[in-house]
Amino acid sequence: MFALIKLIQSLFDALHSEGTPGQLAAGIVLGSFLGLTPLFNLHNALIFAALVLLNVSFAGGMLGWALFVPIGFLLDPLFDWIGHSLLLAPSLRGLWTSFYNTPIVPLTNFNNTVVLGSLVFALLFSLPLFFATRWAVARYRVTVGERVRQSEFYRAVTASKVYNVYKMFRP
Amino acid sequence: MKIKIFRWRAVGPLLVLFVIGCLLWWLFADTIARRESQKVGTQLLGAKVEIQDLHLDLKRGDVTIRGLTIASPHEAFKNLLQADELVADIDMIPLTEKKLVVDRIVAKGLRFGTPRTTDGRVAAKSGDGIAGRVLAETREWASQFQIPVLQLATGKISIDSLDPRRLSTIPAAAALSARADSSGRAWQAAFDSLRLGPTLDSASAALERLRHARATDLAALNDGRQAIDRLKRARDRVTALDRSVKSGITQLQTGLAGLDSARRRDYAFARSLLKLPSLDAPAIGAALFAPGAIKPFERALYYAQLARRYMPPGLLPRATTGPSRVRRAGEDVRFPKERALPAFLLRSAELSFVLHPTSDQPQQYAGRLTGLTSEPALYGRPTTFRASGPQLAAGALLDHVRDIPVDTGGATVGGITLPAFQVPGVLLRLDPGAATTQLGLTLNGDTIHARFAIRSTHARWMRDSGFANSTIGDLIWQAVSGISNLDVEARLSGALHHPDLAVRSNLDEAVASRLRAVLGEQVNAAEKQMRDRVDALINDKVGPARARVNEVQTQGQAQIAQQRARLDDLQKPLEQRLRDLTRIRLP
Repeated sequence: MFALIKLIQSLFDALHSEGTPGQLAAGIVLGSFLGLTPLFNLHNALIFAALVLLNVSFAGGMLGWALFVPIGFLLDPLFDWIGHSLLLAPSLRGLWTSFYNTPIVPLTNFNNTVVLGSLVFALLFSLPLFFATRWAVARYRVTVGERVRQSEFYRAVTASKVYNVYKMFRP
Repeated sequence: MKIKIFRWRAVGPLLVLFVIGCLLWWLFADTIARRESQKVGTQLLGAKVEIQDLHLDLKRGDVTIRGLTIASPHEAFKNLLQADELVADIDMIPLTEKKLVVDRIVAKGLRFGTPRTTDGRVAAKSGDGIAGRVLAETREWASQFQIPVLQLATGKISIDSLDPRRLSTIPAAAALSARADSSGRAWQAAFDSLRLGPTLDSASAALERLRHARATDLAALNDGRQAIDRLKRARDRVTALDRSVKSGITQLQTGLAGLDSARRRDYAFARSLLKLPSLDAPAIGAALFAPGAIKPFERALYYAQLARRYMPPGLLPRATTGPSRVRRAGEDVRFPKERALPAFLLRSAELSFVLHPTSDQPQQYAGRLTGLTSEPALYGRPTTFRASGPQLAAGALLDHVRDIPVDTGGATVGGITLPAFQVPGVLLRLDPGAATTQLGLTLNGDTIHARFAIRSTHARWMRDSGFANSTIGDLIWQAVSGISNLDVEARLSGALHHPDLAVRSNLDEAVASRLRAVLGEQVNAAEKQMRDRVDALINDKVGPARARVNEVQTQGQAQIAQQRARLDDLQKPLEQRLRDLTRIRLP
């Protein structure tokens, strides 16, 4: 329940933040990388650093992460298949062999079928996701955004921040 | 409004996060490395790997492991080995390529086969991973050597129930009976189709006319000749039918002979249901010691096959199961490259260990392992191991450098007190005492040659209580109880998937001759009993079938003879009368 409230809060934070739709979309795209690919990998450290350092929506990043974690779990068989096909493709063997024997690169675990498959999927998915999200956020803000901000539901959700503060200090 | 790309104020918090990460690493690196080592080791070997303490010294590239325990993958409450301390000298540069190159390991205080309180088997219980698959394969491989257990302890020869449906004589008799019926019907139809009645009637009329005719009555003479021709043609038809009947009778007789063959097969089948012990000395040796002798081969093969999986020849990309995590593990694919370092290489390990650690004079041994690597083709040299000591000589060579891997290994260990074991099928326990054991294995591609031997001069035999009222038990006890020398040798050779196993021991002839003397009469009686059972089941079917064949045969032959006789009865007088009428009488 708490996770759901947090997710809705993130969604409203992001949608009603001062950032542009592009910043929000970029944040969600970076967050989708964290959600779609196995978390504890070197590339995700770089993604997280980019999310912090680049002027994109951090709340959007958290939202993207939360939204795409379950999707990542669901699509793992697909990622495994993509990674397997790519890693064992004879035409790419030279490239992988070169990567595998280059310092630092193997630490990214690129040679794992799920890691590579999910990363390739996230990369391919990032552009359509970026443009679709940017368009959707812009449409939201010019159509129903203000009405939602005035609604009882929005106030109730944002009021639960009190609960968050309580949780921070709860023993 | 121009949007800034970088959020410079976030650099500070990110740095703080980085420092916290470094701090956590500094605090927990040893624990993380220990847990990961345990996890990877357990996954690799298929048995629990436990480490009491692990310390990383990255500045000097040293890893110190204390209190290493590796459980046995095969035995629940036994350790494969324990080590007091291992110090590894690690090459740091290859770590940036995620490659582990260990220049040297010094292992002290190794102990083998120590007891443990918890079940340390992992692959045997889960069957997962490479170790689980290899374990299942070697178990299945060993299961092909199930030697029938001698049924000697009670002196009784057991007989499995005889299922009449599995006897071949009964369906054969039913089929023969049906064939005889069919032949009988076919012959009767053939007799009916001969239509001899009109021929015989016209011949009879012609004969009557000839009796009252003169030599000048040409019409009567002509009728007589035509009647004779018709009788000859009818005889030809009868002769053809006779050939057919004879051929059918021959087939039915063959069928009867087939019943006898089927009966002999049924006797053989029934005999196979008797659990008769083979009375040949080699078979006795196999029955007594093969179940125990196959275990060392199974274990040696398990480690050899594991080595082949983890150290495959060649440089092609290889996929192995990925790391276990909440997400799907996937597969890790390795891409070896010529003139590059392998993913894992242990250049040299110096081992020192103790045998008989609890005795008054524990014996110190030393060993050396070189060239253990995950990509032998890159390292270019085989893995070698040798160990020696007062009562030990062991060596192994794993040559996976070429396409066809060759694994050889051997060990001779003296003064090992082997545990007492139950001899299969006999209520006897054998305590080999302090024995010398030898194990040798050569695995060349898919061909195996292996030898396992136990020699003891202090073997002791113990009787189980169930042996008390057994005559045969007494005889076997008399045969073996006085023998304190034990010399068992098992040899395995041939294609790996189905090699030949030969086991011999110095007890074989002693036990076999006793058995031959006592069991010969019982075996004959049991075989006669089984033959009687078979006869009782099949005679009810074979007797009627045989009678039906005889009946059909007799009927067919009688009908042929009868028809021939009727034809003869008319043809001869007709010919005689014609000769009389046409004879020229000189005055």
